[in-house]
Amino acid sequence: MHQSFLIYRRARYLKLSLGLMILSLAAYIADARLEQPNGGTWLGYTLGTIGALLIFWLLWFGVRKRKYRSGSGMVSGWLSGHVYLGIALLLVATLHCAFQFGWNLHTLAYTLMVLVILSGFYGVFAYIYFPSRLMDNGGGLSDEAMLTEIAELDGECLAVADKIGDKAHQTMLRSIESTVIGGGLWQQLTATSPRRVQMEAAESKLIDLRNELEEEHTRVMRTLTSLRVQAQIQQQAQQPANPEGSDRTTLFMVDQLAATGSGDKVLAVRQLLDLLSRKKALTARLQRAVQYQALLRFWLIVHVPLSIALLAALLAHIVAVFIYW
Amino acid sequence: MNTKIAIVGAGPGGLSAAARAAELGVSHVLLEAAPHLANTIFLYQKGKHVMAEPNLLPLRSPLAFTAGSREQVLQAWENGAQQLGVTHRLGAEVKAIAGERGNFSLTLTSGEIVNAECVVLAIGLQGNLRKMGVPGENLPFIQYQLDDPDEFAGETIVVVGAGDAAIENALALAAQNSVTIINRRDEFSRAKEGNLNGILRAIKDETLQCLYNSSPTQVVVTPTDGEGDGKPCELYLSTAEGEARIPCDRIIARLGATPARQFVESCGIRFPNDSPNAVPAVSAQYESNVPGLYIIGALAGYPLIKQAMNQGHEVVEFILGNPVEPADEPLLREKFKPILEGRSVDQMLDLIKTTIPLFESLTTLQLREFMLDSDILKPAPGAVIFRRNDYSDTFFSVLDGEVNIQANPDAPEQTISLHAGQFFGEMTLISGRRRNSTVLAGPDCVLIVTPRRSMLKLINSVEAVQRLIDEVFLIRAIRAQMAPDISDEDLAEVARTALIERHETGQALFHEGDVGDSLYMIRRGSVTVSRDIGGRDVVLSYLAAGNYVGEMSLLSNIPRSATVRATVATETIRLDGEPFKALMKRHPTVFMALQKTARERAASGAKAQQSEREGGDVISFLVKQGLGEATDVLLIDETLCVHCDNCEKACAETHKGTSRLDRKAGPSFASVHVPTSCRHCEHPHCMKDCPPDAIHRAPNGEVFIADNCIGCGNCERNCPYGVIRMAYVENKRRSGMLSWLLFGLGTAPGQDLSATAHHDPGAAKKAIKCDMCKDLSGGPACVRACPTGAAIRVSPEEFMVLTR
Ligand SMILES: Cc1cc2nc3c(=O)[nH]c(=O)nc-3n(C[C@H](O)[C@H](O)[C@H](O)COP(=O)(O)OP(=O)(O)OC[C@H]3O[C@@H](n4cnc5c(N)ncnc54)[C@H](O)[C@@H]3O)c2cc1C
Ligand code: HEM
Ligand code: HEM
Ligand code: SF4
Ligand code: SF4
Ligand code: SF4
Repeated sequence: MHQSFLIYRRARYLKLSLGLMILSLAAYIADARLEQPNGGTWLGYTLGTIGALLIFWLLWFGVRKRKYRSGSGMVSGWLSGHVYLGIALLLVATLHCAFQFGWNLHTLAYTLMVLVILSGFYGVFAYIYFPSRLMDNGGGLSDEAMLTEIAELDGECLAVADKIGDKAHQTMLRSIESTVIGGGLWQQLTATSPRRVQMEAAESKLIDLRNELEEEHTRVMRTLTSLRVQAQIQQQAQQPANPEGSDRTTLFMVDQLAATGSGDKVLAVRQLLDLLSRKKALTARLQRAVQYQALLRFWLIVHVPLSIALLAALLAHIVAVFIYW
Repeated sequence: MNTKIAIVGAGPGGLSAAARAAELGVSHVLLEAAPHLANTIFLYQKGKHVMAEPNLLPLRSPLAFTAGSREQVLQAWENGAQQLGVTHRLGAEVKAIAGERGNFSLTLTSGEIVNAECVVLAIGLQGNLRKMGVPGENLPFIQYQLDDPDEFAGETIVVVGAGDAAIENALALAAQNSVTIINRRDEFSRAKEGNLNGILRAIKDETLQCLYNSSPTQVVVTPTDGEGDGKPCELYLSTAEGEARIPCDRIIARLGATPARQFVESCGIRFPNDSPNAVPAVSAQYESNVPGLYIIGALAGYPLIKQAMNQGHEVVEFILGNPVEPADEPLLREKFKPILEGRSVDQMLDLIKTTIPLFESLTTLQLREFMLDSDILKPAPGAVIFRRNDYSDTFFSVLDGEVNIQANPDAPEQTISLHAGQFFGEMTLISGRRRNSTVLAGPDCVLIVTPRRSMLKLINSVEAVQRLIDEVFLIRAIRAQMAPDISDEDLAEVARTALIERHETGQALFHEGDVGDSLYMIRRGSVTVSRDIGGRDVVLSYLAAGNYVGEMSLLSNIPRSATVRATVATETIRLDGEPFKALMKRHPTVFMALQKTARERAASGAKAQQSEREGGDVISFLVKQGLGEATDVLLIDETLCVHCDNCEKACAETHKGTSRLDRKAGPSFASVHVPTSCRHCEHPHCMKDCPPDAIHRAPNGEVFIADNCIGCGNCERNCPYGVIRMAYVENKRRSGMLSWLLFGLGTAPGQDLSATAHHDPGAAKKAIKCDMCKDLSGGPACVRACPTGAAIRVSPEEFMVLTR
């Protein structure tokens, strides 16, 4: 039921654009038989004028897009026209100058135009490619929802770390405090924020801690087992004589275990690692979301300023031609 | 002590009555439950701008009332009451009224009895706040209301209750206090989604404590020798684990209110029906069915301050037997001017009553109120009153002359005439959908045009009106949907056995495989048709009001071939199979029409089954989002959306700087995202309870809020989709786009100004929502501004078809 801008009204602008391109090409070929093609011929002037008008109209899109009250059609229709006629412009302008390039102002304008168009091509690719990626990545969660969930996980991490001890708490705190999602443009585009590094650091510290604790735990367990064996031997030796004796040993073992508390700590660290890996997955998702959005948008920082530069160069070109021709 | 008039409730109505009595030197007493006058107004938000709607109605009261801040209004009443020497007693809640004219006795909660000759009941609709019902419930540490959570800091506070109010208070208080919330059950089942998430998160994060399965047993002042941790009071609880004691500074109990109706009924006053909107009928003198007991103000169905005050003044005059020209007399005279022809207003009202049977059973007061809301229309012969597919929702009664209805768009020359005494427009009123015919004025036509709300109010308060409208609706609906040329007599048997049934959201009219041959006409709401495919309920289609279902079994006598389920609260008319079959025998055209529908549906059903399941799943999802009652909904295709927020910017730019649409919020399924934005419901919930009747539907279907909104916030609460916001609306000046583009000056086009706005303190908060850009040529700005075609606005019928 939705209609992409590429097929707006049965791709009427694609057809218009193809028509314009065929017409220009036919005229150019026909004209080339009669005279040496050049921007200064009758056809050259015509194509140049069409090209310049197209450029003004393409630039006007930036204004129309912000005229929210405007009754002049749908912005998606405008974009459809923008894209297809922008492509036609490439041919029209090339035919206008009849492939005469040089180190001059005219070619500067041409080059700027090509760059704008190329960035536009990327834009269309991005508009087609990234929305679905973003949707799949988000899985129904908005950026805000992911952020709150990360914040909640942070809170839980701290609470669990508290149970383990100061060292774990400090590690977690540092990891949380250095939280940066996104960062500068470059970091957004490449999804490499310092946060990831920090999290990995925290994770490796935790793994160390877990290993340490697990070692300690094994040590305690080993002691416990040997104690239990001893108790059994004792029990067998003084068989019917003293049944409470073995009870006393068991009590001792339990006390030991409780005193070290190492089992609890191991559990807590495991839990922490669990939380951390969930958080890592979520952060990676959020980062990817930020990355996709940056990839969707950054090209406009090229497209728009270059198109302004193009406007200046074009005006200069036209003035230059009228003065020096 | 024996007084002439006891007035219960010191709201605007009661105050004004007492003031008038004091002015005339009549012995009276004004009994108010709260510790201050005008509790309802007292509880408005601080600084709220109180409006004096309806503007045209003159004020008639010894007390002053003009639009102004809550504080100014309250002060003016306070001063007025003092100057006039009003006898009032605060903290005097009346719990029972017994007796008859000349000898009433009113029992207060304190046990004291007040005697009076007449009683004026002006207790409004707010009801009484529920108390904890345990010893110590009236200690000063306990409050049943919270105006400003920021007032308290560093205290230990217990919040009792599990509803939205309790949760919102607890969350707000927890920012600066140590808070415990007491829940009688083991979960927060009554709360809104947002509040539920909020409280559960807070409990998990330990920003506050929660005790489940606990109820208070008593509150005591901490004994001086006890271990109260220095706290002034202690709350005792019975919990699943035994008794618990919480020392605290303050207890805030939010236990809801008991509706006023219970108390009113206990005084012997009758309500016409069980509808929550029903109001007791009163005579032209505001007297209820209990002689000597008068009802005024919001309780009598007049939801605005000025109306309540006028009635307070008038009721005292009536009690004293003084003739008063009602305050609305000049308004009615003006209204009737074109048709008065020398008659008095009363004669005109009588004429209306005798001409139009629908209004026969109205009391004079009801008719006055009704006519005040209505307009008199004298269209020229041939003038269009409304067109087919218009979305207007007014109701028309023919007072004189005739109108011609073009029911069949393909044959406009065939018309049905309605004459004086008949009415039309009931279809749209009931179904909430577009007009299904065009109506033209005939010769000498005089019409009474009534807004939707006044008509609904009448239907809710007068049984006979509801019955008459339902009967006429039934015959007209059968005719419109399947039997256009059949006489009333021929339909009589079918109509006699027809039954109006109501179905809750999700409830099935019938299941696949059921045996049954009745036919269901949907008169309100909508349904989905689904079949069990591979053990799963797959939705095949969607039918809105104005369609019928069940024709297959009726025609073929085989069991139901599909399950039909209500998507929202739905009303159907069930037509019995036997009389209908008899009708089809007599009229083969009816049979043919039904058969044609059945064939078409069977074909499209088969197609739907073949198409992938996803379509059905998307429909189920959309129906779950409440789209079954939408008329026009904003949907975003996530495979196209580039997150540019141009849609929101466009909305903000065209609506005084605040976007009424939240793109990111709202659920998604497959690639369809339903952002938070108004769906322009068939029966807008937001309209339900708007005191000045400020919410309307425009002819193209847009539900919008007019400027006379008083900012009460009812609509915000009533909209189940959270699309209404209360905001300061001012006309913000925007800088031009060029100066922004070239020099970066001023605000960017589309920038949301609500966050940055500095509103002047006198400005009023009003309700704002999407109006589908009804004043903009070219349609909704959000859709037109979307560069990729991701955003569209569609009706349910459209997307149900298009998801295939
Ligand atoms: C948030 C909000 C904003 C509003 N804004 C406006 C506005 O700007 N302009 C406008 O015109 N209208 C406004 N209204 C509507 C207006 O408040 C009511 O129409 C008006 O208060 C009705 O007056 P009343 O006298 O009938 O009843 P109320 O004002 O409700 O007064 C009833 C009084 O009776 C007392 N009472 C109840 N039960 C008992 C009992 N058993 N014994 C003794 N006393 C009892 C109550 O404590 C209360 O003081 C608003 C309503 C709300 C909720
Ligand atoms: C009103 C519009 C235009 C006019 C009147 C115009 C005029 C001319 C003329 C007269 C020439 C021939 C100059 C020569 O042979 O040295 C020329 C060449 C050229 N024009 Fe344009 N032109 C217009 C628009 C454009 C546009 C839109 C572009 C592309 C951005 C463009 C790019 C060129 C180039 C690259 C040349 C070749 C320069 C060269 O010969 O080295 N012109 N133009
Ligand atoms: C010389 C030619 C062109 C000029 C001067 C031009 C200029 C512009 C301008 C001013 C905008 C508005 C950006 C904004 O304000 O946000 C824009 C947007 C855009 N242009 Fe171009 N453009 C040109 C060619 C093209 C071409 C050839 C394509 C595609 C192949 C293209 C694709 C786009 C797209 C996708 C957008 C973004 C639309 C949006 O997000 O609203 N452009 N262009
Ligand atoms: S505001 Fe809410 S209730 Fe009212 S029409 Fe819109 S979605 Fe429906
Ligand atoms: S806030 Fe809503 S319900 Fe209240 S007056 Fe305004 S529009 Fe009506
Ligand atoms: S304007 Fe269109 S593409 Fe941009 S955010 Fe809104 S729906 Fe998405």
